[in-house]
Amino acid sequence: MNYAMVKRLILKDWYLQRWAILASLAGVVATLGIIATGGKVAFLLGLILLITVIIAIGAQMAVSTIVTERKEQTLPFVMSLPISYREYTASKIWGNLLIFLVPWLTMVLGSFGLLLLSPSSRGLLPYAAIMSTEILLSTCLILALALITESQGWTVAAIMAGNLAVNGIGYVVAHIPGIAKGMWGSTIQWSGAASAVLLAEFTTIALLLGLTFFVQAKKNDFL
Amino acid sequence: MNDVSVHFEGVSKIYPHFTLDDLSLELPTGTIMGLIGANGAGKSTTIRILMGLVHQDRGLVHVLGREMPREQAAAKLDIGFVSEDMRLYGSATLAWHMNFVRSIYPQWDQPYAETLLRRFDLKPRQKIKGLSHGQRVKAALLLALARRPRLLVLDEPTTGLDPVARQEVLGELMAVLADEDRTILFSSHNTLDVEQISDQITFIDRGRIIASDNKEVFLDRWRRLRLVLSPEADLPSLPGVVEIGGSGRLPVLVTNRFDPAMVSACNDAGATVQAVDPMTLEEIFVVNVHSRREKQTV
Amino acid sequence: MHSDLVISQTDGRPMYLQIMEQIRQRIAVGDWEQGKEIPSIRQLAVSLRVSVITVKRAYMELERDGIIVTQQGKGSIVASDPKLGAKLYDQELDKHIDRVAQLGELLGLTPKELASRVREASDRLTKEYS
Repeated sequence: MNYAMVKRLILKDWYLQRWAILASLAGVVATLGIIATGGKVAFLLGLILLITVIIAIGAQMAVSTIVTERKEQTLPFVMSLPISYREYTASKIWGNLLIFLVPWLTMVLGSFGLLLLSPSSRGLLPYAAIMSTEILLSTCLILALALITESQGWTVAAIMAGNLAVNGIGYVVAHIPGIAKGMWGSTIQWSGAASAVLLAEFTTIALLLGLTFFVQAKKNDFL
Repeated sequence: MNDVSVHFEGVSKIYPHFTLDDLSLELPTGTIMGLIGANGAGKSTTIRILMGLVHQDRGLVHVLGREMPREQAAAKLDIGFVSEDMRLYGSATLAWHMNFVRSIYPQWDQPYAETLLRRFDLKPRQKIKGLSHGQRVKAALLLALARRPRLLVLDEPTTGLDPVARQEVLGELMAVLADEDRTILFSSHNTLDVEQISDQITFIDRGRIIASDNKEVFLDRWRRLRLVLSPEADLPSLPGVVEIGGSGRLPVLVTNRFDPAMVSACNDAGATVQAVDPMTLEEIFVVNVHSRREKQTV
Repeated sequence: MHSDLVISQTDGRPMYLQIMEQIRQRIAVGDWEQGKEIPSIRQLAVSLRVSVITVKRAYMELERDGIIVTQQGKGSIVASDPKLGAKLYDQELDKHIDRVAQLGELLGLTPKELASRVREASDRLTKEYS
């Protein structure tokens, strides 16, 4: 793998997406600001907004760096450079994930901080960790499908599925007895169930990314 | 140094509605090859296989001594590629593209790039989305040429260009060939371009190479003969007749193995040769395609 | 090196013949002097925007006719034959005579009639200058 080339491709995508990236970071900061005002309504509203913004960032990046590149025929230009499919795939996955991690980590640290600050909501922390990871998982799913299918239709389907998954898993996890029990308490009660769910999420992320590299390596036709 | 820049041997690629069938061709270093074919004949597929962007199902492809598609990354370091379906990033400027490409190719020639900017009348500060079609093609060509590639691969480089831009582009392509270690492969359905600057010509139709030779051989051996038969004479049998047209006593033959001795042979057989017309590449191509297609359907 | 040769797309003759004829002319009128170097095949191809193989062919035929000499790796020079100019005009004359013969045949003239027409023309010219 030519890492210097992968790095150049990543920087190229970041440069081309720089306004979208800046706008989304501003969005994250603004929603965190709403949450920080402290009201219960503001907290809920802010949280919903935050999750929406984060999911939108992942989806927007995947669409504009992968699907649009193909649709607007800039892909032949990229592929005329001294790279193979591996470098291309690596640059898209790492480039998108690294960018996504900026607002995602901001969200994780910000929300954890807020939860820890107010004693009454500390019990929510395991749940928040699971849901944050689920958002990361949804983004990886969108990324994987965009790269593998190269189609706008499938990517939109993945965005919808990822969104539904956040809601669905949010509901299901909230009703797992081990997790539900301490959720509204003022102490952090880390349960075996919470660990198991987190582990499952990270395993799925690793599998998804591995599968993407594998499928991409098997592809015969680029254009 | 390799004497052969591009080598295809028995290359096949099967798609649901199109098959590239058993393609073999060789491009000597220091020459220009023109690939001529109708739309959908397989020119683009051939070029994509050459670039490693599409993997052949069978056969061997070597480009600049590298095995494709396995060694495509290394091979592409020495290839300048522009295709008709290639676009640059609309939101970025030409200057940004130049810097980007320059950071990748150590052999990038900045003074040459600036010369090309002037010659092609391009403004580096302009965003790509504000350029006309011709300017975009020239911008893409600039990015390919200024890398000083050993092999230039151009898929329909002159399509949609106005006459002035076309001549500018052809002139730059010829200038590349001033260095005899550089090689160009370009496809076109404009046979005039190909006829003007190519050394080697390959005709491709329905996924097969139907003829591949040096241009002078094509232009020398293909002739249209207009005959007048005397009433009792039969049409003389001549070598390499590809097409017989005309009517009754005024037949018109096309041969691909013309020899001046043919004229006296005809006269001896009672067929006066009224005219021996040289043919343009376009005429040669069209007759060639028709006769192959007829043979296929028989 | 810039060459002032001109290739015409509408001229029915093959490009290599056009190149040969123009080089012949340049040598005949003395623009390209005997023993002097002429553009290399690649240089001429680039400046005319025609393929290398076309110019190569023109040079090979010119060399076969003894008009230029190509030395491997050194480029081509105009052959230093003192009678070269005369020889080129001689070739030119042959071409015109061929044309005269063709036209004569078209008009149904016998070789004798043709010859007398040529003599008449020659006489007219002598009178004009005397």
